[in-house]
Amino acid sequence: MTSLTIATRPAARTIHSELTKVRSVRSTYWTLFLLVLASIAWCVSYCLGTVHQWPTMSAQDRAGFDATQDTILGLVLLGQLVIVVLGALMITAEYSTGMVRTSLTVMPRRGTLYAAKAAVFAAVSLVLSFVTSFGTFFLGRILLASTHAGASLSQPGVLRSVVISALYVEVCGLFAFGIGALVRNTAGALTLAFGFLLLLSELIRTLPVFLHNDLTRWVPGGDAINSMTATVGGQIPHTFSAWGELAVFAGYAAILLLLGAVQFARRDA
Amino acid sequence: MIEARGLVKRYGSTAAANDLSFTIRPGLVTGFLGPNGAGKTTTMRLILGLDYPSAGTVTVNGKPYAQLPDPMHEVGALLDAGAVHGGRAACNHLLCLAQTNGISRRRVDEVLGLVGLADVAGKRSRGFSLGMRQRLGIAAALLGDPQILMFDEPVNGLDPEGILWIRNLMRSLAAEGRTVLVSSHLMSEMEYTADHLLVIGRGRLIADCGMSEFIARGSGQAVLVRTPQADALGRAVTTAGASVSAGPGPGELEIRGLTQEQVSDLAFARGIRLYHLAATRVSLEHAFMELTADSVEYRAA
Repeated sequence: MTSLTIATRPAARTIHSELTKVRSVRSTYWTLFLLVLASIAWCVSYCLGTVHQWPTMSAQDRAGFDATQDTILGLVLLGQLVIVVLGALMITAEYSTGMVRTSLTVMPRRGTLYAAKAAVFAAVSLVLSFVTSFGTFFLGRILLASTHAGASLSQPGVLRSVVISALYVEVCGLFAFGIGALVRNTAGALTLAFGFLLLLSELIRTLPVFLHNDLTRWVPGGDAINSMTATVGGQIPHTFSAWGELAVFAGYAAILLLLGAVQFARRDA
Repeated sequence: MIEARGLVKRYGSTAAANDLSFTIRPGLVTGFLGPNGAGKTTTMRLILGLDYPSAGTVTVNGKPYAQLPDPMHEVGALLDAGAVHGGRAACNHLLCLAQTNGISRRRVDEVLGLVGLADVAGKRSRGFSLGMRQRLGIAAALLGDPQILMFDEPVNGLDPEGILWIRNLMRSLAAEGRTVLVSSHLMSEMEYTADHLLVIGRGRLIADCGMSEFIARGSGQAVLVRTPQADALGRAVTTAGASVSAGPGPGELEIRGLTQEQVSDLAFARGIRLYHLAATRVSLEHAFMELTADSVEYRAA
């Protein structure tokens, strides 16, 4: 037990220190505020639009309306872009300011420093993305009250969709964190992360249809996100199940986090 | 105590540190001297484990730096005063460093007072002047009350007041029995602060000796005279065993191997008139130039 306490103490201290770092710069608050704002703005505009159109919608359109997906999609589509910035900056800001040399001088066990950084980012972004996904879901229910089309968590797939949306945003952040550790440069990390999240799905569209259908489940974008968030209409074609798609992206993030850790430990600071 | 053995760091085909072996002993201000690009910063980064050596080892108190349990209590380092997140308040910058080594918030306030930044503790360091950033870096180095302190070019770009402050700080740290390693490319700066010198040029160790020994290693004392009878005086001092060379001005001679008094006596005995007689102290700068020139010639041959 004693040896365990001694072994975990530097880790706990480093986590404490990383938490102080995150809390003491304004960019953290701005990014997190932007993430919440974008998610809410999406939710409000979508719901108000639906409420406005509801009286004139056909029965078929009403049946196909996915209240859960439409209210929380802002977090997924816009939030992923914001969280990517925060995740990458966790690492790249240390390099661009030179702070990493100071950090490594006071905490030279690089594995511990890297893990503490990743853990603090994961915790902060997890709390925020869950609060936002549930928050926008319930906000959407209130806004849609007049239509009686609002979803409830007990309906099939709804809780799954809300939880997976939060986890997907989390995974995108960790993905960017890993890329940040690999390229050590904010612009480079963001270009790569955005390219992967936004452009790859467009690029595979140029492939023959059968190839595209084989690849789309492995690529972030419309089909995969649809599979993770949809609660009506059954399984989306050419994709894994919702959890399966999340696992694919979690796998990518894990690989990048690991490669980033190796680089962080091996290369000169 | 810092010990380097056969330390080599290569970047591509150039060696920034080339087979460096030295020991930095406690209780002294050791000056780490060399021209820009000589490998001073590289060596300090190797000591701190920021860079990995291509060959050789370096230990701090007998261990590689990365294995020190709480390094801030043993070594305080200021390599680059700009290596801070400009958006973070000074006190928070120090706090996040302190927390990794279990250092209290009270100590953060204490060092802020010590370096004279207490009034701007809550301000973001982005707006700090170079001198203030330097003080912040020194505050960080002092947080753990370490026995060993390392400063890389601490007076670079500072105003005279800042330079004086750093000089006094280093002297007082050494007076408390701490080990101070301070690098500079300003030879004159070392004359005020260092007891011991490590001189490097092109990654190689050129000298590892006391300050006075280093100056003596150069050409030593010389006597500069101006006389209308340069030929006669030249003959006289050469007979007495000294060496003579032409001085910088007309009628001037530079005499080595005799003291000022001996030259005066010789001239008086021979009836040679002297207009000017002065001992010239060979400066550290001069000694350094000669030593590095040697090393360059040696490398070229």
